[in-house]
Amino acid sequence: MKALLGDSPDIVYRSARLGGIESWFIYVEGMADPRPLLEAIHFDSMLVEDKLDPQQVYTHLKQPTIASGYLSEQQELRQVVHLLLTGFTVIFLEGMTSTLCVDTNNLKTRDVQEPASEAVVRGPREGFTESLSDNLALVRRRIKSPSVRVNAFTLGTATRTDTAIMYLEDKVDHEVLKELRRRLQQMKLEKVLESNYIEEMIQDQQYSPFPTVCNSERPDTISANLLEGRIAIFVDGTPFVLIVPALFTQFFQSAEDYNQRGDFGSLVRLLRYFCFAISLLTPSFFIAITTFHQEMIPTNLLMSLIGQREGIPFPAFVEALVMEVTFEILREAGIRLPKSVGQSVSIVGTIVIGQAAVEAGFVSAAMVIVVALTAIANFALPAFNLAISIRLLRFGMMAIAASFGLYGLIIALIMLALHLCQLESLGVPYMTSLAPFRLKFQKDTLVRLTQPMVKRLQHKGGEDQ
Amino acid sequence: MIFRRSILLLLILSLLVLPGCWSRSELNELAVIVALGIDKYEKGYMVTAQVVNPSEIGLQRGSVGASPVIVYSAPGHTIPDALQRILSQAPRKLYLSHLRVLVFGEEIARAGLSDVLDYISRNSELRTDFYLAVAQGTEAADVLQVLTPFEHIPANSLYSSILISNKQWAATGKVTLQQFVTELGREGANPIMSGVEIIGDKQQGQTVNNLHSVRPKALLRHAGLALFRGDKLVGWADETTSKSINYLLKDVHTTVGYVKCPKHKDGIIGVSINQSSAQIHVKINKEGEPEFWVDFQIDADLEAVQCAIDLTQEESFRLIEIELKDVMRSITMRSINTIREKYSTDVFGFGEVLHRKYPKQWNKYRDHWPDKFRQVKITIDPHVSLRRIGSIVQPLRREVHE
Repeated sequence: MKALLGDSPDIVYRSARLGGIESWFIYVEGMADPRPLLEAIHFDSMLVEDKLDPQQVYTHLKQPTIASGYLSEQQELRQVVHLLLTGFTVIFLEGMTSTLCVDTNNLKTRDVQEPASEAVVRGPREGFTESLSDNLALVRRRIKSPSVRVNAFTLGTATRTDTAIMYLEDKVDHEVLKELRRRLQQMKLEKVLESNYIEEMIQDQQYSPFPTVCNSERPDTISANLLEGRIAIFVDGTPFVLIVPALFTQFFQSAEDYNQRGDFGSLVRLLRYFCFAISLLTPSFFIAITTFHQEMIPTNLLMSLIGQREGIPFPAFVEALVMEVTFEILREAGIRLPKSVGQSVSIVGTIVIGQAAVEAGFVSAAMVIVVALTAIANFALPAFNLAISIRLLRFGMMAIAASFGLYGLIIALIMLALHLCQLESLGVPYMTSLAPFRLKFQKDTLVRLTQPMVKRLQHKGGEDQ
Repeated sequence: MIFRRSILLLLILSLLVLPGCWSRSELNELAVIVALGIDKYEKGYMVTAQVVNPSEIGLQRGSVGASPVIVYSAPGHTIPDALQRILSQAPRKLYLSHLRVLVFGEEIARAGLSDVLDYISRNSELRTDFYLAVAQGTEAADVLQVLTPFEHIPANSLYSSILISNKQWAATGKVTLQQFVTELGREGANPIMSGVEIIGDKQQGQTVNNLHSVRPKALLRHAGLALFRGDKLVGWADETTSKSINYLLKDVHTTVGYVKCPKHKDGIIGVSINQSSAQIHVKINKEGEPEFWVDFQIDADLEAVQCAIDLTQEESFRLIEIELKDVMRSITMRSINTIREKYSTDVFGFGEVLHRKYPKQWNKYRDHWPDKFRQVKITIDPHVSLRRIGSIVQPLRREVHE
């Protein structure tokens, strides 16, 4: 064993004589807490006796281990090491080829806390933790249905990370499930430290700015998705759970939509689609109309814009690019810095970059408004991964607008629409419900109808799902 | 494979740069022309352009005291020719899309505008929503050089006062290029155009000083309507005549008028007209001659009662309505007669009504319609309804008497 694991001080080897048989207890300190097990063995009167044969001791040892729950008997060294490294205590007995592996896992896990990335005004405050079993339990608690299925995998040749997929047997699309299993088994990964390692391997298209796998750290979101027939992928060590298949419209939905009144939820959701457009197009549209299509601007607005631009040394594209890049730098810096310093960065950002740049005449005030609006609209999107893809696309759009004007912008949008329509998430078209259009999905696509309205529709002959 | 892909990517990316940003121009490379004036000059035209001075119109900057607009003039055989010459004076590219008003000198308007309008209609950079005006008794160049207080850019001032006064007063015209050219092509109708004149000191109006006094030294005023026969200016309509024209062209939104007070002949009553419609009808009478009648429908409100009429009696309102009808009839008739006799032009479109209803008979008159128009019988048939009398009932003058 020592040869295999090296001489690490956190691996504890303890020897004891049980029933006159030389035995070894091996566990990893910090990961395993073998004390209850050792106590139970210590107080076992029978093992104090001498002269028992190994088989007797082995059988007898199974008794006290009940207190620790899971017990596994292993003959193969590789398996034994794997169990040892996941927090088991391994007991070797002299003269026995089989070992007893007792689950004494005592990993420190974080308490269930409010999810940081998906806060809601109304709704459960629970978020996933880093522990796989806790996460599974959080979802189980919400869906007490016997059709909940969990399949466990171990992924990563080096990390041997525990992962699990969860789905509802009676709702899931079995084609998709088969495809997901195939992809999970095919991938050859050395390490799985976060769910994104898996996301990158199972997504349909490597070269697309759009995410085709959704993630959430909210048990209620995951539960709702499971009930809609999706599959959740849990990875040990991260609170972010993946959901497949993911649709484009899904990235505009937030748990909040369902926890607030339906009309309000619909309004907010429409607002998000609007923000998507603003965030993607405002700077490029501004560049296009101010450098190519001045006749489109209302005369009075043009007068004001011309007055502002007077004396600005850069072309509109460079102006926009500089401001956008500055904003991205500020945002990136703001994430890294501790909270107390972060505030001063934002002050420097607003005053120095915003006000001073305009006063110095480097950029026009209109451009600052455009960039600020773009940035804020970007934050209004609930899905961070979609927001990133818009940030990427925005720069491309700006470059196209600067060379071809609105003409180029429209062509770029058409190409974007084509790309979105050919994307798939585990074989399911990415734009499902919009293209291909599905009337029955419209109750929860652009707007969210209330439960009674959905009921009434179903009653009138519209089928569910 | 990767090599070929990156070559492809490089080619696509170079597409962004290589086209050279055709037709691109930054806002601060443009000289935005807001008003264009066209005058006669020897054999060609003298074109005057009012260009926005960008550093003076921004909110924070400016107030150096410089003029908000700059005026350039150049002669040329054609308008584009003259514009080219202006380019040698102006430091930036001339931009015509935001033209607000196009002013013609009286001289060139009398000579005919079709050659000028050809360029204006042909140029794709121009929008068609700007207003046309004729400078009364002066050159367009002079009109464009008057600085207006209140609205910094004179062209904007002209534009919005044409818009507002047409809406509120009805004695001025609002004619866009589109309307004028359409009217020009119609048979049996002649176009009109707004008139603009300078009141006050022309020289003083050209300096920034004009903006500094409480009562500006020079102002631009709309002066009636310019009457055209074909593309040639034939004369000017005064205030009452302009109003009548607008009534018949259904271009009255609100306006005010007054009538003599029935029974109490010493006073007058002021009314405002809120709704009006006019419909020209035609029939061929027994002698085979066309006969026109105009259906007028007017909604009026009492605005100012300057006599001692008893407004508690329903009878009074009937009398006021009758009085209003008479006034409408006589004023309109007088205006029509003035125009057809003095200028022999049909700006109302009587001929067009005849053309539409009796296309065969029209052929008889087509070639000499203006002369025929002088002789045809026209009757006016007004319908007036008084709607509101305001916050008080009896006239104040009446209360003083009692």
